[in-house]
Amino acid sequence: MIEVQDLRKTFKTKAGVVKAVDGVSFTARDGQITGLLGPNGAGKTTTMRMLYTLMAPETGRVLVDGHDATRDPTAVRRVLGVLPDARGIYKRFSARENIAYFGQLHGLDEATIRARTDGLVSALDMADFADRRSEGYSQGQRTKTAIARAMVHDPKNVVLDEPTNGLDVMTTRAMRGYLQRLRAEGRCVLFSSHIMQEVAALCDHIVVIAKGHVVAQGSADELRERTGLPNLEDAFVKIIGSDEGLFA
Amino acid sequence: MNTVFTVFRKELTDAFRDRRMVMVNFLLIPLLIPIVFGTLTSVGAKQQRERLEQALELPVVGADRAPNLVAWLRANNVDVKPVEGGLDEAIRAQTYDVGLTVPESFPEEWRKSRPAELQLTFDGSRPTQSGPSIQRIQGLLAAYGSELGSLRLVARGVHPGVASPVLVTNRDLATPKANPLTAFFVAYLLLMLSFIGGMHLAMDSTAGERERQSLEPLLATPVTREGIASGKILATAAFAIASIVTTGLFYKYGFGFFAEEGSRSIIDTSAALLGQLFLVILPVVLLGAVFTTVLAAQAKSYREAGSFVSLLMFIPMVPVFAGQFLVVKEKLWMFAVPLFAQNQMITRLVRGETLTAPEWALGMGTGLALVVLSWLVAARLYKREQLAISG
Repeated sequence: MIEVQDLRKTFKTKAGVVKAVDGVSFTARDGQITGLLGPNGAGKTTTMRMLYTLMAPETGRVLVDGHDATRDPTAVRRVLGVLPDARGIYKRFSARENIAYFGQLHGLDEATIRARTDGLVSALDMADFADRRSEGYSQGQRTKTAIARAMVHDPKNVVLDEPTNGLDVMTTRAMRGYLQRLRAEGRCVLFSSHIMQEVAALCDHIVVIAKGHVVAQGSADELRERTGLPNLEDAFVKIIGSDEGLFA
Repeated sequence: MNTVFTVFRKELTDAFRDRRMVMVNFLLIPLLIPIVFGTLTSVGAKQQRERLEQALELPVVGADRAPNLVAWLRANNVDVKPVEGGLDEAIRAQTYDVGLTVPESFPEEWRKSRPAELQLTFDGSRPTQSGPSIQRIQGLLAAYGSELGSLRLVARGVHPGVASPVLVTNRDLATPKANPLTAFFVAYLLLMLSFIGGMHLAMDSTAGERERQSLEPLLATPVTREGIASGKILATAAFAIASIVTTGLFYKYGFGFFAEEGSRSIIDTSAALLGQLFLVILPVVLLGAVFTTVLAAQAKSYREAGSFVSLLMFIPMVPVFAGQFLVVKEKLWMFAVPLFAQNQMITRLVRGETLTAPEWALGMGTGLALVVLSWLVAARLYKREQLAISG
């Protein structure tokens, strides 16, 4: 379970101080898919980065399975699988070698790494490219490798920053199927997206973010009810106040 | 510790799969050095030998005024040439290295047994080309003079030794290997290769990792950042060491291949000397690995890292050039200044001298102390939040 309480983060830029995240709170429960929906620049990636301990929040806190991300970042990283916005893989290594390196960094032994890799390669349908070097992989193959690498330590919680970004229709479908499978396994799945349809189709709980604030959250039905609009996409646009930066 | 080894192994594997990087560090540089030194020494030796064996071409003005001298020169392998146009012009045009003028007064002075003037014309600003010829003709003329002087004394019934009140002999204490230029070159090359030999790996594993967007997932794993930094630094050092050892072996076994038979290597390539040199540069390799890794980690891209790191090339140049051009007497405290110490140690070893125990202790001790200190700074720098963000 991931609990986010009143996160704030500001950046100093040449134009002045930017409040990237300004009081974000939500909870992502086990056995559920939680979606972080917001237009580009809403603060999704910054929120995610604080969540997986890459950045320290100025105020507020993040609890993952009860571990505080600021006080005990190592414990948080152990129970968290992360697909960051930056998802480069080592191009002189095969997918298997990429996954194995992260398994070693998590302190897993070789036998466990091999077993987990085999499981991930079949679950993500990677068998036809897993053994060749990743130079020349397609975007979808790279994303699959990055997800497999994030799952090698079998984390209870999974955080994915725009997982379907740049993927073709078939791969996107496969990805959604994989997220549903993770939910069925009882994991806590949190992903961010600016694609309304995707969030509507997958999520049990939706957190809508705009300009660093949480502007609404609840199930799809609750959001429809609140806005009085029967169509979820119309509801999102009404909540955010504009359709700029969103994608149907 | 496990993290350090995991990162170390990954970075080295990655680097050795980069064909271009391997080609440069394990083929190009190791081949280039024996080729350059082998060719240069054999060409230099050949030129010198040819000059000595060849007849010295000597334009002589007024050769008919000293037929005896000209005949003696010819007998001593000098090709006496008539002068067409002015002698000065011929020397300036570098047609000849040196010319001889026999003044009109020469026969007169000679007959009266007074010192008869002979004039040599040369261009002193080109010592490497014309120097050997000048020395050779000066030597010949001096020999002719003393031979004739002795004959004159004998003709007057005086023992020739009377004219030589002192006899100067030379005892040069320099070891046979003590060519100052050689020591300078070896120190320069070794310090340079040690300091920045692993720079491509350092740049690839830090700035390159950031640019290819794999740094963020790496930092999301539970390993410590000090562990990651240390693994990368060690991989950089190991890569540099492997490259230097390869270069050393290529030199040891490849020199004879490129140099002509019989020419001597500019340094002694015994295992004892190479081993000592290796020990001396070890702190420099580690220091270079820490510096390049930390500096490259601050850069946003591989290209930016390249411009940062190339500045580091000047660091090992400072002690080498200071040692070469500043006249300072060697003192023990100099061995306490890292890089200066290593330059001093390499120079001494290459000259065939030995280092005392305090010199070894001070040179290695301060070098390794600086390594530890900069390593701690590197670990701190690696903890900064900005490091992780790819932009």
